[in-house]
This record gives sequence, C-alpha cells and structure tokens, in this order.
Amino acid sequence: MIFLATIGLVIARPRGISEAAAALVGAGAMVIAGLVRPDEAGANVAGHWNVLLFFVGLTGTAAVAERSGLFEALAGRAAGLSGGRPRRLLVAVVIVGAFVAALLSNDAAALVLTPVVYVIVTRFGLEPLPYVLACTFVADAASLALPVSNPVNIIVTDRLGESAASLVPVLLPAAVASVGALLGCLLLIYRRRLPATSVLAPGGSSWSSFGAIPMTLRLAFGLAAIAFTLASIVNIPLGPTLSIAWLFLLVIERIGGRRPGPLDGIGWSLLVFVAAMGVLVDGLSTAGVTSLLADLVLGPVRDMPAAVMVVSAAAGAVGANLFNNLPAAFVLADAIHNSGLGQASAHAAALGTIIGADLGPNLTPVGSVSTLLWFVLLRQRGLVISSWSYIRMGLVVTPITIAAALAVALILGVPR
Amino acid sequence: MNQPLRLLIAIAGGEDPILVADVARLLGPATQPVAITLVHVVDIEPRALLGRGPAVRRGPWPGGPGGLDDRRLEEAEQAASTAILATWHERFKASLPDTVTITDEVRRGHPEHEIIAATNLIGADALVLAARARIGPTEPGPRSLGHVARFVVDHAPAPVIVVRIRST
Repeated sequence: MIFLATIGLVIARPRGISEAAAALVGAGAMVIAGLVRPDEAGANVAGHWNVLLFFVGLTGTAAVAERSGLFEALAGRAAGLSGGRPRRLLVAVVIVGAFVAALLSNDAAALVLTPVVYVIVTRFGLEPLPYVLACTFVADAASLALPVSNPVNIIVTDRLGESAASLVPVLLPAAVASVGALLGCLLLIYRRRLPATSVLAPGGSSWSSFGAIPMTLRLAFGLAAIAFTLASIVNIPLGPTLSIAWLFLLVIERIGGRRPGPLDGIGWSLLVFVAAMGVLVDGLSTAGVTSLLADLVLGPVRDMPAAVMVVSAAAGAVGANLFNNLPAAFVLADAIHNSGLGQASAHAAALGTIIGADLGPNLTPVGSVSTLLWFVLLRQRGLVISSWSYIRMGLVVTPITIAAALAVALILGVPR
Repeated sequence: MNQPLRLLIAIAGGEDPILVADVARLLGPATQPVAITLVHVVDIEPRALLGRGPAVRRGPWPGGPGGLDDRRLEEAEQAASTAILATWHERFKASLPDTVTITDEVRRGHPEHEIIAATNLIGADALVLAARARIGPTEPGPRSLGHVARFVVDHAPAPVIVVRIRST
C-alpha cells in the first residue's frame, strides 16, 4: 500500500513536489509502519554505497562534459559528416546518441544531447521532430551496453551481485542489435517525411568542433571513457571508479582555467530518490511482497534460463510502464534475489530485467510521465495528428528493439 | 488609388520553388498594388516535447524553461526562420513586378493556429500555402493535405489557395 501510494505520488507529483521528496515520504512511512527499523534503513542506505557513489560520479562527469562543449562538438561532427542530407543526419544522430548513452548514461543522451541536436537540425531548416524522437529513443535503446549506461543496470547488477564482466559480453552485442533495430524503424517510419535535401545550408565552419575543447580535457575524457569500459569488464566497483574519474576531470578542468562550483550538476534529487527507493523496497521485501512476486512471475519457469530471461524482460518492461523503470528495477532485482533461482537462471533473469527495464519505458503512454502529458495535451487541443508521433513510435519501436536485444541475449547469454 | 490586394503566404521552408511561379502567374502583370506577407511559424511542439522528460530523469539535469538551453534553442530557431524567410523573400522579389511589396513575419506557436491568426490580423484578402510542407510530391486525392493545411482550409477567414509540390 505504502509503495503504491508512493509510486502514485512520484508519477503524479501534486503541486510540483519532487519525486525525491515523494520517495522520501514513502520511505519514512515504511519506517513508521514498522516494516523497516530505523537502523535497517540506515544500513540499507549504506549498503547501496556503490550505487550512490556511482550516481555522484556519473552526474558530475556528465556536468563536466556538458560545460566543456563535448556534446556540441560530437553533434557538430555528426552534422558535418552528414553534409546536410536529412537521412544521413538521422543516422549520424543515432550513432552519436548511442555512444553518449553507452558511455555517459541514457539520461545524458536524452536530456543533454537533444537540445544540441535540435539546434543543429533547426539550422538546416529541417523539421526537428524525427531527430528529437531519435535522441530520446536511442538513449534507451543503447543503454544496455555497459553498466554505466543506465541507472537500472547498476541497480540490478549491484543487488544481484552479478559481475559486470559476465554481463557485458552479452549486453554489448544486444545493445548494438537494439540500436540497429531502432535505426531501421526510424528510417522506415520517416522515409517519406525526410526531404531529400535540407532547406538551409549553413557553412561547414559554423559547427562547433573538438578544437574548442582544451587538449588536456579531451585526453582526460578519452582516459575516463577507457576507464569506465575497463572497469565494467574487469569488474571493479563502478561507484568509486566513476567518482575518481569525475574528480580527475574536475582537476583537469581547473588546470585548464575554468572554475565552476565543484558540486555543480550533481544529481542530488536522484541520489535521494534512489536511497529512499532502496528503503521502500526493503519494506516490501519484509512484507513478503517481492518473494510473492518472484513465485508468481518466475516460479513456473524457474529451471529454464531462456524462459526466465523472456519472462523477466516482459516483467521489466511492464513494470517500467506501470510505475517507472527505477522502482521496477529495484523491485524485480529484489524479487530475483529472494527467489532462490539457480545460478544460470538468476543470470538470465538479470539480463532479462535489464533489457526489459532499459528498453521498456518507451512503450506506452502510461510508461512515462512525458507521454501521459502528451495525452492530456492532445485532449486539450482536440487531437492534432502530429502529436501521435510519439505514441505511434513507441508502440512500434519498443517491441522491435526488445525483440532484437532478447534474440542476441538468448543466443549469447544462455548456456546450452 | 485602390487599396492594395493583401496576400498572406505561409512558408514552412521545404516548399517547391515552383510556388513562386504559381504566385506570379496568379497575380499576372500588376494592375493594382499588391502587399504580400510571408509568414513562417516556428512550431513549438518539438520544443514542448523536449521539456517533458520523465519525472525521475529530469531530476539531476539542468535545463527547463528559461535555462541556457532554452535561450540557445530560441536563438537557433530565430536564425533559421529569418534565413528561410530571407531566401523566399529573394525568390519572390526576383520574379514579381515592382508594384508588389513583400514583408516577412516570424511567429511562434502551432502553425495551423498562427496562420489563421496572422490572416485575421493582416486582414488578408487571400492566403496561399502548400498542401504539405515537407513531404515530396502530392497528387490531388484523399489525404493529400497535411494537418496544417487541413486546419487552415477548415478555419480560414479568407479564400485559400493550396499549392501542390510537383518535384521531389
């Protein structure tokens, strides 16, 4: 009950209270209701140290990248390479988006890259909508790739004690498959809507380039990217790795002469949200809800890893659409943890959950707050066709990308 | 001296340049003064989409109304709109007689609403727009009007001339 009420608060956000505050209230209620003892709540938050440090490092790193103009430079390069041809530009945007999402998290791709792409597309005089949608969709499609790519990934791997090294060889190819599937869908859906040439032809020199970023900082970004990837593969805890990378980048940035507030851009509200969510799910677990869920969803198929993977992907996608992908990932990870699955099945379940909860949120109008708002606006405006774009896209693209990723994961991730 | 004939031409940017020849033929050798207003509407829909990230995602990232991004996007839109209108302004000027005056106007909002609003404001005698602004050739037939053109035809306070794009 408390959990559902909290999720309701998080989604509805009455009077603009933040989702972090809503989650905090829910966590407090869990403690008051006696489902979680105060000291347990403290231990729970402390137990998530890796995840919490991870978010500090990640949001900090992304803030440094944004300040340095890295995103503009990447998108500018894409614009230059496309030569102003709308179709090629779409491909370039998807590829850049996939890289940013894989190395710097899906949120960075969706929220920081989108405005940059918007500016570029506008300067070509093109309709922004296909490109804007491509950014948000590729953010999720590519976020399977590495543990750093999506908060969901780190939550699931951390809770289940899965080593990143065992996941990446499966998830990276799966991410490539889902991005490829997405690109195919986009080109097909917009085949008629993209004109053959752009309306305006801004000069090549008008794009920002990597030259604008200090050389040392460029090298530092390269090092940091290699460090993330290596840490993911070699199985060093990612929280400290990312935090160290962030501090390193800050130092380099300072040497380069810029002096931003060192804590600018840290996602405090996300931190609080994740910590509170951990306590909430702990309460659910004590109340026996998550093991019930595990029996219900995974029970019938428990000894067939392939089926477990498909079922948990479906559960992840449905859960992400019913509440939100982070709570869904928390609950599912806990359910899998309590289910006593065999090792192969648990591994498959982790893969499935990551695929479902990463790719799922694009699916339906209720899946995310943004699409809910779309519907409200649609009604106010008396149904204008263009507003259907998002919904139509989501319904088409999400099942296809999930299927592509699952196919790869089934081939690579299930022992025979 | 007669009142000038007031003509509003909606420009999305991707129209076939043949639009200019169509207008020139319509007006013929000028016997009365003509005042053309070229209107380009910046569609606010994609921007609105940007502003609505899922609740949790929006948490840690900068942005939102009035932020740095917002200003940057606005500048880019303004620059693109001005450039598009300037291109078409030149095209019309080159093939219309001197008795025709041309003014440019950039508006923001939903294109279909803004075109109607502009027509009312100017008191245009007729308005011209493409059947579909960005998609290739449109043969006459069912669904050959985009949603903007359809809305404008439905709500226009003045005669509407729908121009078809003929080449790709």
